Amino acid sequence: MRIIIAGAGEVGSHLAKLLSREEQDVTLIDQDAERLSIIDANYNLMTIQGSPTSFDVIAGSGAAQCDLFIAVTPFEARNVTACCIAKGIGAKRTVARIDNYEYMRQSHREFFNRIGVDSLIYPEYLAAKEIVTALERTWVRNWFEIHNGELIVVGVKMRENSELEGMQLKELAMKQHLFHVAAIKRNHETIIPRGDDYFLANDIIYFTSRREHIDEIRRMCGKKQNDVKKVLIMGGSRIALRLTALAGDKYKFKIIDIDKEKCIRLAERCPDARIVYGDARDIDTLREEGITDIDAFIALTNSSEINILASLSAKEYGVRKTIAEVEDIQFISQAESLNIGTIINKKLLASSHIFQLLLDADSESSKFMALADADVAEIEVRPKSKITKGAVKDLHLSRDMTIAGLIRDGKGMLVSGNTIIQPGDHVVVFCLQGAIHKIERLFN
Amino acid sequence: MLHPHIHIHINFPMVLKVIGWLLMIESAFMVIPFATCLIYGEADFKCFALTITITAIAGALMTFGIHPRRTDMGKREGFLLTALVWVFFSIFGMLPFIFSVEPISVSDAFFEAMSGFTTTGASVMTSVEALSHGILMWRSLMQWLGGMGIILFTLAVLPMLNYSGGMQMFNAEVTGITHDKIRPRISQTAKGLWGVYFVLTLILTLLLWIGPMSFFDSVCHAFSSMSTGGFSTRDNSVGAWNSDYVKVVITIFMFLGGVNFSLMYRASFGDFKCLWRNDVFKSYLRIVLVTYVMFVIAICHQGQVKSIESITIEPMFQIISTITSTGLTVNNFESWGTFVLALVFLLMFFGSCAGSTSGGAKIDRLIYLLKNTRNEIYRCIHPNTVLSVRVNGKMVPNDIVSKVIAFLCIYVMIIMLGGIVLTACGIPLVDAFFSSFSCVSNTGLGAGVTGYGESYEIIPDIGKWILSLLMLTGRLELFTVIILFTPGFWKK
Repeated sequence: MRIIIAGAGEVGSHLAKLLSREEQDVTLIDQDAERLSIIDANYNLMTIQGSPTSFDVIAGSGAAQCDLFIAVTPFEARNVTACCIAKGIGAKRTVARIDNYEYMRQSHREFFNRIGVDSLIYPEYLAAKEIVTALERTWVRNWFEIHNGELIVVGVKMRENSELEGMQLKELAMKQHLFHVAAIKRNHETIIPRGDDYFLANDIIYFTSRREHIDEIRRMCGKKQNDVKKVLIMGGSRIALRLTALAGDKYKFKIIDIDKEKCIRLAERCPDARIVYGDARDIDTLREEGITDIDAFIALTNSSEINILASLSAKEYGVRKTIAEVEDIQFISQAESLNIGTIINKKLLASSHIFQLLLDADSESSKFMALADADVAEIEVRPKSKITKGAVKDLHLSRDMTIAGLIRDGKGMLVSGNTIIQPGDHVVVFCLQGAIHKIERLFN
Repeated sequence: MLHPHIHIHINFPMVLKVIGWLLMIESAFMVIPFATCLIYGEADFKCFALTITITAIAGALMTFGIHPRRTDMGKREGFLLTALVWVFFSIFGMLPFIFSVEPISVSDAFFEAMSGFTTTGASVMTSVEALSHGILMWRSLMQWLGGMGIILFTLAVLPMLNYSGGMQMFNAEVTGITHDKIRPRISQTAKGLWGVYFVLTLILTLLLWIGPMSFFDSVCHAFSSMSTGGFSTRDNSVGAWNSDYVKVVITIFMFLGGVNFSLMYRASFGDFKCLWRNDVFKSYLRIVLVTYVMFVIAICHQGQVKSIESITIEPMFQIISTITSTGLTVNNFESWGTFVLALVFLLMFFGSCAGSTSGGAKIDRLIYLLKNTRNEIYRCIHPNTVLSVRVNGKMVPNDIVSKVIAFLCIYVMIIMLGGIVLTACGIPLVDAFFSSFSCVSNTGLGAGVTGYGESYEIIPDIGKWILSLLMLTGRLELFTVIILFTPGFWKK
């Protein structure tokens, strides 16, 4: 697939690297030659230096034949303009990164389609949604609803007190058929487990199940659900703003920010939240604001390090649920092993969203998931595709992917070795990074 | 979470494994001279059969016998692999010369093979007509392979290198200061460039075949002209056919071999304007035309105007052959005087466009140098002016300009150093420097030009090994080879 990415910022370059690893034809446009030269010399993709809103540059990058045009510069207006131009030149599909909730409204969709923007991504909004899910279910690391919640993928960190600890996967499979273990994350590495793998303490285990069996998973993992009411947010970023707007009065938010100007603006825009001007790195400030009796702590400053450390000290004060924004991908795995409840990464959220577009799946009904080195995709099975050619165990799927479940006639069900997948099913595939293109081959 | 691997050791097993793959490809190419021998019923088919077996077995052993613990390759592996591939190809490529009916020494054979792959075209053979058709075919084929690049060929056909490690090798092998990609993926870029190369070679073969050449000669000359290598099947080289048609056709295709291939790729899709917008291509044309005028004046001055050809086709042939580093000479080149010889030196030094099959320091670098020099001179009087080096309408960052200047300095130093070492081997001063120059710039103009022996055979063995190293250094544009000799490269 030919993909053009305009804007080699954080999201843009992450996407470009990822997609080039997925064996897509990637062209990256940016104005900054220096930034491009590093990517150009080290990754298997083409870079073009020039303005992402110039007709010549966009046409020169091959927009006329491209399948997907992604505009992810930091400027919303430029992204929309770039998409309009690309669509005009002949791009099949365009995506613009935006920064305005108003644009996401369903009623404006038609307008954007008319001017040539097919999809919008709003990473801050995705992050806010992710945080809301995490606040609702404090015991999970990751929670993904697929096909309106027909199937659910949960990531749970295993503790020593869990009854699963030390058990072999096949033992569990003999006991019950209520859920399927799709993947295990162990020591910075995600593995697709086989029957003879064991559950170990400190693993993060990804289960697929139907909604009614989720409580059973929670019980087996020895977890408790804590209801969250009081939430302390460190850093009044755009995500914080989005979050308070999204969650409404369900939670009591308190936002601490170090910048006075920002605090005044926040106070104006978030009437429901309490804004505190102060330094959340300072223990006294935290104590003053009642760190000891809050239910959840969310660190959303610009610095991943501060977010991680602040979450850790919040944990020490007895906060049950901590959420940290970690934008440096290298740190995610470290942060996960450090007992931080949930980790938010805008880049991963945006790129997983775009993967969903790539696979041409219906991005409306499923919540697409983003992990640092794995992806879950929901894909509709087309007639005559390779995956329908036999029972799952006879398909010889490669070891870096697994079928986590499927949705047939709107009903979620689990998949065993004997399941035969039929055209029209929606299949939930869990795959490690770099294997998405294999999925495409399997389903087309 | 994919952890960025911390490179502590160079991943030797992986490097050797990839080289194994490449050797198997080389052995596949050796089937062509093998078949040639069979067709002509020559005894040399045995030497090729033996070489193919050895190369294929060695390649297979390395590929399937080595199980690297990790498969990642970084910058260091990229440089090392690129340099080693050329050495391994020459080691196995020299075997036919050693096993042939009239064997030559290991030093000679290695020199010949390296000269082939680097498209230098310097030869130790005093008479090529005595060689079998198979050997002649192999010499031309080596040049053809090396012309566009061994790594580039592999990138086009083997998907296994199609990741960021392959990028490093692409950057290490392709000539030029910056490397344009013509398509998003490196394999597509490689396929595109090789596609242009292959089609041009095919056209040249057909054109030569229509003329007075036999099919065998056409193929060999197409291989060695397109790659701007310069091996011939006759002692008298292209002059043997005594045909203006052959000279004109070969001149045109050598010229094309000196043009940036990604530019030709674009032009082949109808975008001819890109040629006229390209400063390097324009300078290439201008240099050719200006030197042509100077050649004609010099020839007239020397009273060598014997026929219309001697002021049209012959000087043009000589200029193109030199600037593209092919290194073919016309018969009466020596009689044109020393001024012409001096011009030839200049042409050899800079060669033609980067990203072509030619050698030399490349016109791109000459342009950067001249524009930067002009800026520096202007700044003597107007020290506060902000000036930039502009090429193809784009500003060139200062670090690239300084890299180019560093390159040119090292280039001259290597020629000097090579010359000095050769004089220590007992070669006369002028000839030592000339051979060193000729090999670093991959031109391979015969040592005969300076009146020292008929071919490179006369150079002592140790000198041949030094020249082989110089050829490789020149072909991979200095840094890829020199970096291997720095302690920092090997340090943990």
